[in-house]
Amino acid sequence: MLSKEDRILSWYKIPKSSRILLIATTLIFIFLTPNLAEGYESTWNKIEIDSTNDYNAAVIDSNEDAWVFGDNGIIIHGEKLTNWSIIDSPTNEDILTADSNDYMVAAAGTNGTVIYKEVLSNEWIKKNIDAQTKINSIAINNMNEIIIVTDFGGIQILREGEWSEIDSLTLEDLYHITFENERGLIAGSSGLILGSEDNGLTWETRETPETISESEIISIGYYKTNRAYAITSDGQILKSTQEALTTTVGYSWSIKEIESENYSTSLNVNLTSLEILSTTKILLTGENGYVALSKDGGNIVTPQLFPDEFDNQKINDVAMINAFRGIIVGNDGNIFYTENGGENNPVGFEVVDFNDFNEFVDFTKDNLLEGLKATMKIVLIGILLGFFLGIVLAMCKTAPTTLKQMIESDLEKTLILFWLVIPVSILSTRGSGIGIGIFTFLAIIGVTILVDYYINKNKTEKEGFLGIQIPNNHRNKVIKILGLSLLIGIPISEEWGFEGGAELIYSALNNFHDFQLGSDTPKLSAQLGYIFAPIGDPIAFFRLIIGIGLTYLGVLFITANGSYSKKRFFAGKLFLLIIVWSIILTELFIGFDLNNFNLSIASLMKYLFFLGMGLFMTRRIIPELSWKNLEPNEFNITIDPWRLRPLNSLATLYTDFFRNTPLLVQFMFIHFGIQLGKHIQNIGIDVTNDLTIISSYLGPFDSIFAPMIDYVSDSLFGPGKRSYLSAIFALGLNSAAYQCETIRGAIAAIPSGQMEAGRSIGLTYMGTMRLIILPQAIRICIPPLGNEMVNLVLNSSLASVIAYTELTRQGKLVVAITFQIFWTWGMVMIAYFVVTWTLALLLRRLEEKTRIPGLGISGGN
Amino acid sequence: MEDEVLIIENLEKIYAGGVHAVRGVSFKVRKGESVAIIGSSGSGKSTVLRCINRLIEPTMGTIKLNEEVINNPLADVNEIRSKIGMVFQSFELFSHLKVLENITLGLRYVRGMNKEDAEKIALEVLERVDMLDRIDAYPGNLSGGQKQRVAIARSLAMHPEVILFDEPTSALDPELIGSVLQTIRGLADEGMTMVIVTHEINFARDVADRIIYMDKGIIAEEGPSEIIENPKTERLKEFLSAMDDE
Repeated sequence: MLSKEDRILSWYKIPKSSRILLIATTLIFIFLTPNLAEGYESTWNKIEIDSTNDYNAAVIDSNEDAWVFGDNGIIIHGEKLTNWSIIDSPTNEDILTADSNDYMVAAAGTNGTVIYKEVLSNEWIKKNIDAQTKINSIAINNMNEIIIVTDFGGIQILREGEWSEIDSLTLEDLYHITFENERGLIAGSSGLILGSEDNGLTWETRETPETISESEIISIGYYKTNRAYAITSDGQILKSTQEALTTTVGYSWSIKEIESENYSTSLNVNLTSLEILSTTKILLTGENGYVALSKDGGNIVTPQLFPDEFDNQKINDVAMINAFRGIIVGNDGNIFYTENGGENNPVGFEVVDFNDFNEFVDFTKDNLLEGLKATMKIVLIGILLGFFLGIVLAMCKTAPTTLKQMIESDLEKTLILFWLVIPVSILSTRGSGIGIGIFTFLAIIGVTILVDYYINKNKTEKEGFLGIQIPNNHRNKVIKILGLSLLIGIPISEEWGFEGGAELIYSALNNFHDFQLGSDTPKLSAQLGYIFAPIGDPIAFFRLIIGIGLTYLGVLFITANGSYSKKRFFAGKLFLLIIVWSIILTELFIGFDLNNFNLSIASLMKYLFFLGMGLFMTRRIIPELSWKNLEPNEFNITIDPWRLRPLNSLATLYTDFFRNTPLLVQFMFIHFGIQLGKHIQNIGIDVTNDLTIISSYLGPFDSIFAPMIDYVSDSLFGPGKRSYLSAIFALGLNSAAYQCETIRGAIAAIPSGQMEAGRSIGLTYMGTMRLIILPQAIRICIPPLGNEMVNLVLNSSLASVIAYTELTRQGKLVVAITFQIFWTWGMVMIAYFVVTWTLALLLRRLEEKTRIPGLGISGGN
Repeated sequence: MEDEVLIIENLEKIYAGGVHAVRGVSFKVRKGESVAIIGSSGSGKSTVLRCINRLIEPTMGTIKLNEEVINNPLADVNEIRSKIGMVFQSFELFSHLKVLENITLGLRYVRGMNKEDAEKIALEVLERVDMLDRIDAYPGNLSGGQKQRVAIARSLAMHPEVILFDEPTSALDPELIGSVLQTIRGLADEGMTMVIVTHEINFARDVADRIIYMDKGIIAEEGPSEIIENPKTERLKEFLSAMDDE
């Protein structure tokens, strides 16, 4: 170990004054970073007119002239929205509503007042309705007919110079009418919306949500023919979309849950008017100087600023030429004009010049930092998962437990495993999913081991497992029954039960494609093109592997005779011969197509070669097959199926699978294929919900636990955490396979005498592993494990393909915004380097710290 | 007899490769007796020793420790091993632990003692092998003789019924052998039951009450230590003369 002063890169080697300078510089770097926008200013400009009337309605005609109407019949003309003047009014009544189209401008108000003019004419024509009622809204339809609505369901239409009533079929008050081509909408009290498809001649009720049946729909509007919005006086936003290509918009309405109001349905503002600027951009006005803009169809509604003196005035109407230019009008003679859609202007905002490195860093640092954090999260948990799983796998791989031992000395444990633990785990998996299944599996094993420990704690002589001991004369029978149950399963009812190995193989084969022998491609070589055909369903593949394993165990246990020793295949070479001839004949016959038999020299040579080889091998093998020569160890295949090590086989299966498939594919299979993230998220949400319920019984402690549970639930299983969970598992599971091999190598490097020494003082196998072998092995494999961990950090960049926003993906996003390819990827690279280098340094420190004096060649002291 | 600690009957071992290493070996060890097994390489003497604490599973035959058959699949092998000490040719100290920890490990994790009690016993046995001055050293920093003495102390700490020595001096330099042999001799004088596999003929004659000469998997000659001077069988004579030549 080097002392603090001896290290080359030592903090203490820097002179004291320089240290202060270094810290100061760092702090200056951190704090002297300029901010972006410092504030906002309104883009509404007040138009000065010599009038303080309340303005109720505004329209802009096809000439881009604005018309503002107000109390006492005041009419203001804004020519091209620039020259504003009060013009002579044909009426003294309050004008409450107005509408315009390409051809005309119309307005209406109290006492049945209706006035209109053609766009090209300067003359206002007065055409009052007979009933002296207040007109709530006016609209012009596709045929240039004027339609007005009043309280108590009144609708009247001006057709060929005469007013006539239209039946609205309702007595509700009607507040607003609007047209888009021949389609019209009327909004009214009690959540009423009427619709018309024929220029307003007939109206019918449209479906609105139950929750607004008490509200007054105060304003409604179309955006072209594909979107419609409405607002209620108490601040709710309704939306209608085209449900199918064959239907039109405005039939069914849904109430918006407003994200910026915490998913409440109301803005808590008394709204007055609505203007729809595009499919998703809407402008809302209300009392107390409220103008709000939503750019995403009402998800996020942002109130906009006003010049100070207008505060608290009610705004009555808004009229826009396009999405940017328009006016709003309100009480007390206020007209405001905007060229920016009313949206606040950031003050002190400079257009970011991404070519300036400082501005580039300011703009992107948050993104990159978030990416780095996200990377660190999956990397740290991935490393832990990989390391612990790696140790478990390495111990499985080096475990000496054979089938013989499982049956001979641990029969009771084996029975409990196959007849209790696995069936119950399968049951809970079927009931509650794979996560609970694995949990049950581990829990039962833990409980049985504990129970066994307490049962045998004070006994001098060990008796079986859990106090169960199968008598010697029955052991063989029990083994055979176990074998039978593994082979044919435990059928409980006709369609329900535990499948045995035979059934698993049988059912799996149904989902396998055949080799298509006898099809258009008769040759085996050509059938390589069918590489995916014989694989079939991945689940069937999985069932087949399990089925083969269970069948192996089943057959072996059934044929158990008490000696659990070698099985000699005396006809070993005969077996070999059969295989050789099967290959030769298959190749010959499948390649041999009678229909276009090719008698070329080359093909004849091939057939002769195959036949000759077969005959040659037969000649070599046959003489040895006389029964006289049947000596063991001479030419027979000797296999001892009882020496199979099940833990080793399982671990080998795992590592082989993960080491022989690309990590990128594993990411996609785990996230999209088996949706591991989604499953874990569901389990996590279930568990945290249960915990919440338990915590609610705890009385005063609930206030302590509930936020903790919420925090855990949100940060681990919240929305958008699926790819996070999947990424952790993809990285961890993959790394475990590699770390397993590394650790296994280190275990293999420990002299076998260490295990003997440990066992000879009476430690168990696991005890020796834990106390003697692993502490030495892990020390040996710190450098290669460091390699593996660095690899894991670098491989984490692949998580970007499953939409996990880690460093690489943030880099992509930053490039997409700033186009600074060199800086972005350079910074991303440096960030990775810092992480891996720190990790490597830590591991180097760890290696130094844990080095055993006098052991191994380290090059140091 | 009553005081027979260890009884081996018809022991046979066939390795997985088919090597027939031990072909029917029987002998008994009385309490307090030290038995030396000598023989050339490959004669099966180490196999016999490892069969006794089941580091190697015997193929056939029975081994009894205090009248109890121990090579039975249902017997608790860890319990048995903790009663039989073993000293290895290559010491096999736990190199990541200090000398004191090497000795307390078995006491703490097998006998379940607390740290203080274990250390007390450890210091006692270290005093017996004269290693008290190096309790905080790592095995890597000890000489071969010191290592072997620590290994003997490790076995002693468990208070075994019998200690098995597997060529305890073969890996040592000649000048280091003395201290180890002296320690073992001391144990013999104290009445410890021991089975010693060794190449050191003189040491075997000095320490052992009885000498077993093994050749090709069987006991070729057996008797008190005087058989070294007066070998009866031709094979032992050849072996002894070959040893003298070295």
